Amino acid sequence: MFLINCPFCGEREQSEFKAGGEAHIVRPKQPTELSDDQWAEYLFMRKNIKGIQFERWNHIHGCRKWFNMVRDTSNDEIKAVYKMGEKPPVK
Amino acid sequence: MLNYSNVIENDKSYPGLQMREIKPVMKLIIRGKKRQFLSAVGKSLNLLLPNEANTSSRSDQLTALWLSPDEWMIFSNEILKLDHNNYDVEKLLNKNICKTNLGAVTDVTDQFVLINLKGDKIFDLFETGSPFNFNDFKSKKGLVTQTILTKIDIIVHNQDINDVNLFVRRSFSDHLFSWMNDSASRL
Repeated sequence: MFLINCPFCGEREQSEFKAGGEAHIVRPKQPTELSDDQWAEYLFMRKNIKGIQFERWNHIHGCRKWFNMVRDTSNDEIKAVYKMGEKPPVK
Repeated sequence: MLNYSNVIENDKSYPGLQMREIKPVMKLIIRGKKRQFLSAVGKSLNLLLPNEANTSSRSDQLTALWLSPDEWMIFSNEILKLDHNNYDVEKLLNKNICKTNLGAVTDVTDQFVLINLKGDKIFDLFETGSPFNFNDFKSKKGLVTQTILTKIDIIVHNQDINDVNLFVRRSFSDHLFSWMNDSASRL
């Protein structure tokens, strides 16, 4: 259990949120030109890093807004929280 | 459909806590992002929508609760008549907001049940089943939060000191009220 600072509502407990997987995955512009392997790569393959990971989260029991988070998966330390469409404040 | 049947049959009272359903009360959800939307709602209702997160605003007849950056709940301060569910406020907003494509208006009168809680044990009750930190919340009049209470989504409006409005979806209200009674009896 940890606290997440929702960019809209403020600090709330993790149980109010839902994790939405890896962030910043760009949909291919021409899906029809991709091979099955390339399409599967885009659709299914996700990073599972021990360390800094960029994730999407949804404040599902609050404002129901999506946002991005930079989290250290080894200790759940949240490095940054930023809105959709914004660039990550840390690398 | 009009649904004015009682979900919560009896008012309940415990030392430092009284709970009762308030009905019928008009409840609308309005959504919009544009600046013109905010000014159109303000002019239509003579009520400024709160821009700041987790706050509310109030006029003589209506209260507006901030739910998210583009979503508000409006409810009537007074109890309405039982014989119809045509609301002038909804008609006015439909005309000035929906038909001008500025935003959306949804009547959620029958979707949400309004439970009013009074007494100095309200937040002791909430703290037994909610992850939200009510320490700062309880002392500031007008604050609003959406959170969970015993795993049920709720909207809490701190109407006044020791006077709280709780909105819960109708299908969960019976279970929530029975849980609150059980929990309140052990405070």
